Amino acid sequence: MNRTISGHFLILAILATQGTAQVKPVDPDQGLHYNTPRVFVLKGATVVTEPGKSIEKGEIVIRDGLIESVGRVANYPQDAVEIDLTGKTIYAGFIESYLTRDEKRKGGRASYGNEKEPEKEEATATAHWNKRVRPDFRVLDGFALEDKKLEELRELGFTSAHLVPNDGIFRGQSAMIHLGEWSAGSIINEQGPVHLTAFESGGWRDRSYPNSLLGSIALMRQTFINSNWYADAWKTYRRFPGDNEQPEVDRALEILSQHIKAEGAFCFEVGDELAALRAGRIAQEFDLKLWLRGNGYEYRRPQEIADLEAFVILPLNFPQTPDVETWETALQQTNAALRHWDMAPDNLQKMIEAGIPFALTASGLKEGTSFTKNLRRAVERGLAAKDALASLTTVPANYLGVEEQLGTIDEGKIANLTVVDGNYFEGKSQVTEVWIQGNRHRLVREPDQDFRGKWLMQWTFDDLTREDTLDVSGKKTKLKAKLVWNESSTDLKNIKIEINNSVSFLFKGDSLELTGIVRFSGSVKDDYAEGQGRTPDGKTIKWFARRTAPFEEKSEQDKPKEREKASTLAVRYPEGAFGFEAIPEQPPIILIKNATIWTSGPAGIMKESDLLVKRGKIWKIGRNLKVSGKVKGAVVIDAKGRHITPGLIDCHSHSAASSINEGTQAVTAEVRIRDVLNSSDINIYRELAGGLTTANVLHGSANPIGGQNAVIKLRWGTAPDDLLLKDAPQGIKFALGENVKQSNRGSDFTSRYPQTRMGVEQIIRDAFTAAREYQRKLDEHRGGKSKSLKKIPPRRDLELEALAEILEGDRLVHSHSYRQDEILMLVRVAEDFGFRIGTFQHVLEGYKVAEALADHGAGGSTFTDWWGYKFEVIDAIPFNGALMQKVGVTTSYNSDSSELARRMNTEAAKAVKYGRISEEGALKFVTINPAVQLGIDTWVGSLEEGKDADFVIWSENPLSTFAVCEQTWIDGRNYFNLVRDQQLREKVSRERNKLIQKILTSESEPPGDEKGGGHYRPHLTHPYSCLQGVIQ
Amino acid sequence: MNRLLRYMTIFLAAAVASDQIPAPPQTHPILLSNATIHPVTSKVIKRGDILFEKGVITAMGRRIGILPDNTETIDLAGKHIYPGLIAATTTMGLMEVGAVRATLDYSESGTVNPNVRAEVSYNPDSELIPVTRSNGITIIHTTPMGGLISGTSAAMMLDGWTWESATLKAPVAMHLNWPRMTGGAYPYFTQSDEELKKQREERLKILEKVFEEAKGYLEASNAYERGDGPAMDTDMRWESMMPVLRREVPVFVHADEVQQIEGAVEWSRRMGIDITIVGGDDAWRVADLLARYNIAVIYDGIHSLPSRRWEDYDVHFTAPLKLYKAGVKFCIATSTSQFAAPHQRNIPYQAATAAAYGLPREEALKAVTLHVAEILGIDDRVGSLEMGKDATLIITDGDPLDIRTQVHQVFIQGKKIDMSDRHKVLYEKYKEKYRQLGKIK
Repeated sequence: MNRTISGHFLILAILATQGTAQVKPVDPDQGLHYNTPRVFVLKGATVVTEPGKSIEKGEIVIRDGLIESVGRVANYPQDAVEIDLTGKTIYAGFIESYLTRDEKRKGGRASYGNEKEPEKEEATATAHWNKRVRPDFRVLDGFALEDKKLEELRELGFTSAHLVPNDGIFRGQSAMIHLGEWSAGSIINEQGPVHLTAFESGGWRDRSYPNSLLGSIALMRQTFINSNWYADAWKTYRRFPGDNEQPEVDRALEILSQHIKAEGAFCFEVGDELAALRAGRIAQEFDLKLWLRGNGYEYRRPQEIADLEAFVILPLNFPQTPDVETWETALQQTNAALRHWDMAPDNLQKMIEAGIPFALTASGLKEGTSFTKNLRRAVERGLAAKDALASLTTVPANYLGVEEQLGTIDEGKIANLTVVDGNYFEGKSQVTEVWIQGNRHRLVREPDQDFRGKWLMQWTFDDLTREDTLDVSGKKTKLKAKLVWNESSTDLKNIKIEINNSVSFLFKGDSLELTGIVRFSGSVKDDYAEGQGRTPDGKTIKWFARRTAPFEEKSEQDKPKEREKASTLAVRYPEGAFGFEAIPEQPPIILIKNATIWTSGPAGIMKESDLLVKRGKIWKIGRNLKVSGKVKGAVVIDAKGRHITPGLIDCHSHSAASSINEGTQAVTAEVRIRDVLNSSDINIYRELAGGLTTANVLHGSANPIGGQNAVIKLRWGTAPDDLLLKDAPQGIKFALGENVKQSNRGSDFTSRYPQTRMGVEQIIRDAFTAAREYQRKLDEHRGGKSKSLKKIPPRRDLELEALAEILEGDRLVHSHSYRQDEILMLVRVAEDFGFRIGTFQHVLEGYKVAEALADHGAGGSTFTDWWGYKFEVIDAIPFNGALMQKVGVTTSYNSDSSELARRMNTEAAKAVKYGRISEEGALKFVTINPAVQLGIDTWVGSLEEGKDADFVIWSENPLSTFAVCEQTWIDGRNYFNLVRDQQLREKVSRERNKLIQKILTSESEPPGDEKGGGHYRPHLTHPYSCLQGVIQ
Repeated sequence: MNRLLRYMTIFLAAAVASDQIPAPPQTHPILLSNATIHPVTSKVIKRGDILFEKGVITAMGRRIGILPDNTETIDLAGKHIYPGLIAATTTMGLMEVGAVRATLDYSESGTVNPNVRAEVSYNPDSELIPVTRSNGITIIHTTPMGGLISGTSAAMMLDGWTWESATLKAPVAMHLNWPRMTGGAYPYFTQSDEELKKQREERLKILEKVFEEAKGYLEASNAYERGDGPAMDTDMRWESMMPVLRREVPVFVHADEVQQIEGAVEWSRRMGIDITIVGGDDAWRVADLLARYNIAVIYDGIHSLPSRRWEDYDVHFTAPLKLYKAGVKFCIATSTSQFAAPHQRNIPYQAATAAAYGLPREEALKAVTLHVAEILGIDDRVGSLEMGKDATLIITDGDPLDIRTQVHQVFIQGKKIDMSDRHKVLYEKYKEKYRQLGKIK
């Protein structure tokens, strides 16, 4: 190994510590040999050997960097230097579990609004094609820890650290280091236990893939696939070099495949609790050992996170205190933020309760010192000090693979110790020194003498001797004092005590007939102080003083601070306003009586009828249905005068997704909305309040072939995966026209292929051709016999796989489209490739080629009456839906807007207004028709026996603009009703008041430390619409 | 019944016309007879008559006995008559296609543009106009946008050969965009609190300065008029501010968030300037303040999501009811954004949502007719059906606030309006395609 630590570095190290004579395998010593003995005995302290075990007045013997013995009356060797640590507590040296190497690659993350072309990176033969995939990055290369940073860490009590790279999606492998003076001797393990990963991406205007969460997840999955394939490919090649071309060398894939083979762990840095679940899904798919660098939001989904069986490294980034000073500013604080302020300090305890193993990190804090402060708050609120200590010592030692060397105070372990002048986890104690590899690092920040108190001072000048009282008060290092004689006194100016216990002060001598400033200096030890001074005219003063009374803190400060208590709030699902404490019950039987039932099925509209639901499914619809009185928990609702419809379905939604567009490449079939579902999106609840129960959540329209969709039910409160309508056919978003040509994105976006509708056709044809050939290769490999065993297997490609599924008829295309030419074009392309388009979305000129759509069998999912926002919608007409339907196209109305999705019933009424569709037929535009389009009509879309009990109760005819949604049911569970909504809003406002009061009365609490806390709001989604390509 | 059929054929014929032709002035008296009349300012008249001559309503009641010579009588059995609806704020007329920059004329460059006038750029041949008119919107308040002071707006009738003949009133108001006072709760709101504060203070400073300088200009100009001062050079901007300072033209302050509204109210009191709030998302939160100082609100947020995650899902649906209960004068508009310009035809449905969530229906109707006229200062002419007011009215087969209702005919100042529009034309064109293919009858 090449040990290339520069010369001056080494010299610095030797000067800084009194001896680091470690075993140096090859370095020649320079100058005189350095042979100070390194044998110590630490005496008199409370030794906490491991969490929960301690020895009062124990001794630790350290020899040559290792702990030789620990005990009460250890027979310590005569050659040891004795160090008295009476009154101190000694812990095993703390381990910083996630010390980030922070510098960023140039041209790395593009900031929002950066419209420049991505910087061309120098392509080297060994670099992976994607600059964010760099598992081959070696975190220690070219790296040095600055003294200042080391000191900061030591002051928190850390003696060793898990150093992690911090840039990219695959970031590289970690390393273990000591936090003594930085040198070759600091390295414990150059190849640490994990590879680091994160869902990193550029912003909307970054043009390098990926620029979205969607893309970063897809790239991560593809890279794992590639790594596995890479290993196979080389294995095959090595066995059959004559049958194969040599695979490309890819250092990144090589390293990843080795790490996977060795069952090494991957540590995902995740920004919120949902991201943790996303990481979990990837780990499950690729059978990875999962670690998480958490975020403080874990308490929101403790069960789901526990189920991941991951080791979690947690920051102590408690949120900033929300600004609630005026009622106006308080409006800007969400309940989720107010609640987080109250609950975040309990996160660690919640992890203990959920059985999640965790270690701690001070990374991600604005002020390092808040690490200790915050940890103490957590302990004050109920976290056992034992558990806190374990998360700094034994737990990380175990997971980081250094349990043989670190983590406890035990014979044979490395002498890394943290010495505190009290209990680290309580009060205002401080780390006074740490020991690292048997070397002492004192962290004296204050003089050990306290100058405060009343002193009788005798001072002599010019044969004159005075005896006056010196009254010193204030803080230990920020003193105030006055000189008192007889009935008079004068305030001292500039009284100081230095770290070496020297003191100085001066005062205006005028009232003592010494015109000018009198200066004193000297030193203090215990109750005695002495020194010299000068009178204003330069004559020598001799002085000494005796302490006559100790300093007394003002009684006010003595009052014990009220202990901070754990939050009494219960977690809501999802967290924040309108979250549920539990998922709504599913009653065994529901009977709704005397309603007008719009079945959207063959039975049409049934007046004065009853709907009977059993265990989430529709059992019967008819008149005079009855429930036996014996059924426990049966729900009977009299709905006289009310109307019931199927739950409404939105065939084009962007709600409930944390990421919408992977807009960098023209074809991104590999990205999946289901990877980024956001079950915390408040729009889910708002849409439920408008009778919506199912949504087709689509990728945006930034590229001709976009990402895969997710058909969800609006099961508010569930985890993201539970939103999915499980059996729904898979789909994918396509887009045509101005958005994919980037027509409305200004003069900077004129180079990506395609820039014309002609090019759009070609890129789609090209993609399908590639997919067909991909499939052929797969089939050949699978079908071929012995011959194919000698061949390198085809690589699984997520993008081509999705496209091949379209060709197989297993994936529905939902294509954003406006003009008739492009609509017809895609119909013909699909026909040429032998598949059927699922739906044309928006399809504003569908009315011009309706017969082609009908013949092809594509559905039309349109806006009712949007037009005028860009040139390609110049011919959009509100009669579009009705005309398509009349010509034989299965037609639905969609929202493409989380706002409009709340009132799809009145959108349906526009089919009556524009084109005179019957009321029954119009409602179908938002019920059975979209269900048919999405291939989910077996379960939803109409009220028929055996289907899911997804229905809405309306105050009147649902097509009336005056109708109000009163209840919304999904799977026979009541997810929305007006009565509960009223209760929830009362809860929301009560809770706001309570928390605001709590914030206002708890001024003494330290401000928060969340980096950039004011701006990044992880749980809010930006409202998105396909129109966004135009209006920004 | 025959009559009705004939009537239907007339406007169907109109619908297939290739373009919409502005109507000539009313040439003879017209009696709309036997309809349910909703005057808004008085009780509904069942089987009532309404007579208008030269564009003005001359009689209205259960039965108008004596008719002038040459009166054309139209029997409207089963039909309803309402005052023409008014769009309270929109960029319509100043734009055509949102994404095509060449068609946009609503936002002048720079921060302070009090001198630009909306009416002179109103394009009477915009395709947006007939589409909007077809659904009963007869008048729009065309509003410039952008900067701090955007210019003056105008009330335009949706018929006319030129912008001059279409103008009902100009200027209606000077438009001021109150600076953003607080960070939005959006993940991509990237401005830091400090940046925001800086920008806010800068803007407020400009606002102070603009009015100070304009006042100085007014005083100098007054002095000159009185002969107390020298002749002065003209400043277009301050010249255009003089009617505002003389309180002849009100200031419409675009403000949504509570601190913006409070700031605007304080400013108006300090400056002695009459204001109306446009936008008003949070207006209901300070309804008492607005009621106390008699400040009206053009509320444009009904069909928008709550701006804060924790707010009630219906916070914007119920805002009009809260304003009504607090005694605040308000009307209902669609969003002021350019995206909403082509969608002014949906204004009545915003009012309907307010009604669905508690606002009395007659108040909802007023919020898109009479109250808009009052707030724009055109209620002497339009906004209700009354003797002496313009015969600007619509004939429907039901409540115009209900989507299923069809608007059969529009009259603007007694002129019978061509009911065709681009959408109907294209509809008829492609129906013909499918008739040819035998797909529909």
